[in-house]
Amino acid sequence: MAKTYDYLFKLLLIGDSGVGKTCVLFRFSEDAFNATFISTIGIDFKIRTIDLDGKKIKLQIWDTAGQERFRTITTAYYRGAMGIMLVYDITNEKSFDNIRNWIRNIEEHASRDVEKMILGNKCDMNEKRQVSKEKGEQLAIEHGIKFMETSAKASINVEESFFTLARDIKAKMDRRMDATSPPKGGGQKLPTNQSQSKKSWWKCTIL
Amino acid sequence: MVTPFTSRQTKTNVGRMSQDSGAGAGDNQCNKTKILCERCSSVILLPNKATYVKKEIFLPHMKKKSESQAPEDGETLEDFWVVDDMFTFENVGFSNTVNGIKYLICADCEIGPVGFHDTSDLKAFYIAQSRVKLD
Repeated sequence: MAKTYDYLFKLLLIGDSGVGKTCVLFRFSEDAFNATFISTIGIDFKIRTIDLDGKKIKLQIWDTAGQERFRTITTAYYRGAMGIMLVYDITNEKSFDNIRNWIRNIEEHASRDVEKMILGNKCDMNEKRQVSKEKGEQLAIEHGIKFMETSAKASINVEESFFTLARDIKAKMDRRMDATSPPKGGGQKLPTNQSQSKKSWWKCTIL
Repeated sequence: MVTPFTSRQTKTNVGRMSQDSGAGAGDNQCNKTKILCERCSSVILLPNKATYVKKEIFLPHMKKKSESQAPEDGETLEDFWVVDDMFTFENVGFSNTVNGIKYLICADCEIGPVGFHDTSDLKAFYIAQSRVKLD
């Protein structure tokens, strides 16, 4: 069957465990479902489709699940990644402090031109906040990358953050394709067949 | 990680295909409408992206049938939608690999398995008709 997308981006979600990269609440909220089976074996990756400036973009998104400690994440894991979401929990200062370690790990092991973005998740839990929004913004500015506060649970900014990251990757790739022909790098650009308008997804999980 | 599915897994490999037309398939055997998650209506496949196949595959239950049900208990299903490229999916999740099998789940609410992929066959990704709904 003919390919019907324009771009394919490989993204990673990185951050300490418990920052809500996957929102467990929703998954286990209904007893009627056999949540045990999937949660026992774990999720490898997800495929998401978004429409960006009339282009159909497939996102293949990996979670770090099970290998959260940055020491264990090395070059093999980062291979082929074009974008990385650095996620911390605004109610957990340690997860924020660790973002610096994650960034160092990325600089050491990932491709140098990988697009990055910092997300302060669980912003619906303001009463338990330990990390101010300003602190998050400051860290992002320091590293010259974008920042957003999100709530996977309340569907705040999750979709927007992926659009932002995808837009930045696309812009970088388009610049590169303009400059060199044939294109170099990990991205795949394919002929357009159709574009599809889509309503909201990502109801609870970031991944 | 516990992976107690070995004895059941062999059943998935005894596939038997035929050309019957499945519910929701057009004359060309493709899905006429969108294929959606039964629980949260997340779009899994757009119209005309998947082909109906009859094939016997064992899948662990998606719903809890009884209190005594073990996570790996399941049923053999026969009616599937198949695509040959995983990027044909609009939204879908892949589980980790268990005995060569990746189970497919809803990308939004993570209900599943809604389908499966045998990693020894790179060109086949199955969605169980009875575990999704049509638009």
